[in-house]
Amino acid sequence: MNSQPLNSQPALSVHQLTRSYGDPDNPVRALDGIDLAIPTGTFTAVMGPSGSGKSTFLNCAAGLERPDGGRVLIGGEDVTDWSESQRTKLRRDRIGIVFQDFHLMPYLTAEQNVALPRRLAGGRSDKHLVRELLTRVGLGERAGHLPGQLSGGQQQRVAIARALVSQPAVLLADEPTGALDSTSAREILTLMRHSVDQWGQTVVMVTHDPVAASYADSVMFLVDGRVAGRMTQPTADAVASQMAHLDDLVSSGVAS
Amino acid sequence: MIGLALRSLSARRTAFTATFASIFFGTLLIGSFATLLETSFTDMAQVDQDTLFIMGAVVGSWGTIIVLFSLASTLGIAVRQRDVEIALLRTIGASPGQARRMIRIETFLVAVVASGLGAAAAWLGGRALFTMIRNGGMVADTVDYAGGPASLGISMLAVVATSLVSATIAGRKATSGPATIALTDGTAGNQPMRWWRALAAVLLIGYGLTMAVITITVTAHSDDPYDAMATSGSSSILVSAGLACIAPLLLRWSATLLRPVVGRAGSTGHLAAHNTSRRAPLLAGVLAPVMVFTSASIGTLMLAGIDGRTLAESTPETDTITMLNNVVIGIISLFAAIMVVNSFAAVVAHRRGELARLRLLGATPEQVRGSVVAEAAIVAAVGVTFGALASLATIVPFGIARHEGIVPDGQLWLPPLLAVVAVAITLASAAVAVRRSTARQPLAVAGAGQ
Repeated sequence: MNSQPLNSQPALSVHQLTRSYGDPDNPVRALDGIDLAIPTGTFTAVMGPSGSGKSTFLNCAAGLERPDGGRVLIGGEDVTDWSESQRTKLRRDRIGIVFQDFHLMPYLTAEQNVALPRRLAGGRSDKHLVRELLTRVGLGERAGHLPGQLSGGQQQRVAIARALVSQPAVLLADEPTGALDSTSAREILTLMRHSVDQWGQTVVMVTHDPVAASYADSVMFLVDGRVAGRMTQPTADAVASQMAHLDDLVSSGVAS
Repeated sequence: MIGLALRSLSARRTAFTATFASIFFGTLLIGSFATLLETSFTDMAQVDQDTLFIMGAVVGSWGTIIVLFSLASTLGIAVRQRDVEIALLRTIGASPGQARRMIRIETFLVAVVASGLGAAAAWLGGRALFTMIRNGGMVADTVDYAGGPASLGISMLAVVATSLVSATIAGRKATSGPATIALTDGTAGNQPMRWWRALAAVLLIGYGLTMAVITITVTAHSDDPYDAMATSGSSSILVSAGLACIAPLLLRWSATLLRPVVGRAGSTGHLAAHNTSRRAPLLAGVLAPVMVFTSASIGTLMLAGIDGRTLAESTPETDTITMLNNVVIGIISLFAAIMVVNSFAAVVAHRRGELARLRLLGATPEQVRGSVVAEAAIVAAVGVTFGALASLATIVPFGIARHEGIVPDGQLWLPPLLAVVAVAITLASAAVAVRRSTARQPLAVAGAGQ
């Protein structure tokens, strides 16, 4: 798991991704032809105003939703047309997902929650790896606790350890700090940053928080289902002013 | 408050359908026998009066115990599962009293409508039961059905009162702690068992075992062969009702013991074993009717078998008693089966969000269904084991009283058959309940159950 070899293959890439909702006559275009490639071993934040399509993008990348058009490639492999059961395997073998509401199983201990994806895959859970992951996220002492006995920040750290247990090609995070106080949020973001720098993990995080985005290597802005800009070496202030600018664009109707 | 209660009812249709169904069938069962009792108070021959009175009062009261008990457990499930919602109401300023009042109003609305319809059905059901008795020649043709507002009203009252009391107890439990604690996911089902459950269990089991001892020591030597039946007949039901009171404890212990064995059955067994042991109070609502069903059916049918073999001549009295036994067992079994289906539907409906979460993590629909069915298998195995044990409280003393000894002379195929039926009902109701909740895409559901 330590520093994956540098790979020219992007961990995640999408081509001309489209997805619409609603009735066919008057569709709402959530994704309107998105192109992007996330290099292996980077931390990317995806930002945009409400309704910009950032959650739909994440769901399509995770195989939770099927796009209407375009391709999704995970680690160079085209997974767009995979069946539901193939995508289920994809989620537990190649992708780690971190949710805003943690989504831990309430009746399993931290340790058992982390081991769950491996068990679902039918393999024996590697106790050593699970313990090491929990130690890495700072919860080595609490492996036997149930989620109800942990704070929100601790639960989210368990969820990150769980997402990492499959050694996924990419870790997708959907507003991972949205339900946390600012101290816990900082810890979670530092942990994700650490997973990229020290363990070579690839992270894609959807967020609306400029401070969260400032932990990433680059920020990608979405507006009305299209890529509306990109920023490298982001700072919270720069991201915030760009977001304010995009909000203005949306409200004046220029971007649509 | 009433507006909030009404809206909250329509938002949780499955859980309330379960409550509605148990109140409806409960009133139907109690009410049907109550009309026989009311009929027995009209003018008729002493012997007819006795027949109707025994049927109405004796059978009715066994039924009433079981109905009221299972009603309380269904309502307990319905309220306990709402700890997060109740905590939410309290964080935005609802007092514990207001939250409890909302639960009581909801329960009252459902109970009045369901028991009203149940009473109407009981008026017809009681008439059908009475016609059956009269056509069977057990009462004179001159006796007329006289079930009416008195018996049905009292039945309704008893059911509504029980519903309110159990909703109040469950509501008090749900609002006792600080509001913030309950907001964390998954505390449902972790509460320690209340002391009065243990007390009720000791009383019921003690009563049942005392009756068994009295059967062996006293009534076995009585001149009337039915004295022994009168004392031992209800023992199996009493003991199983007592075990049902401590069902959460039994399930936690058994599931913890079974964990290493079930855990070998892959990820589904692993999930099932931990859910049943760590959230035993939720699934205990399913375990209770499984135990009562197994115990009541095995106990009563074996009793009827022993009776048939040891009493050669057939008299109108033996006919009545055989029929009584069959009616009791039929109705109690049906009711217990409804309760099993019901409580599984309520338990699984609440877990929709949690099951969808498993799918987001990469569980296949088969694995999700498998884990719930495996939970059902654990509940069924534990329920059948304890139910069969409880049935001995009737079989052994009555067998001794009728000189068949500890092991009856015949019908030994019956207990395994009934055990298979109990297991089949449990597994089938789990499979049906979970199929509905895995039919949809996981993403659509995952947020809904939070």
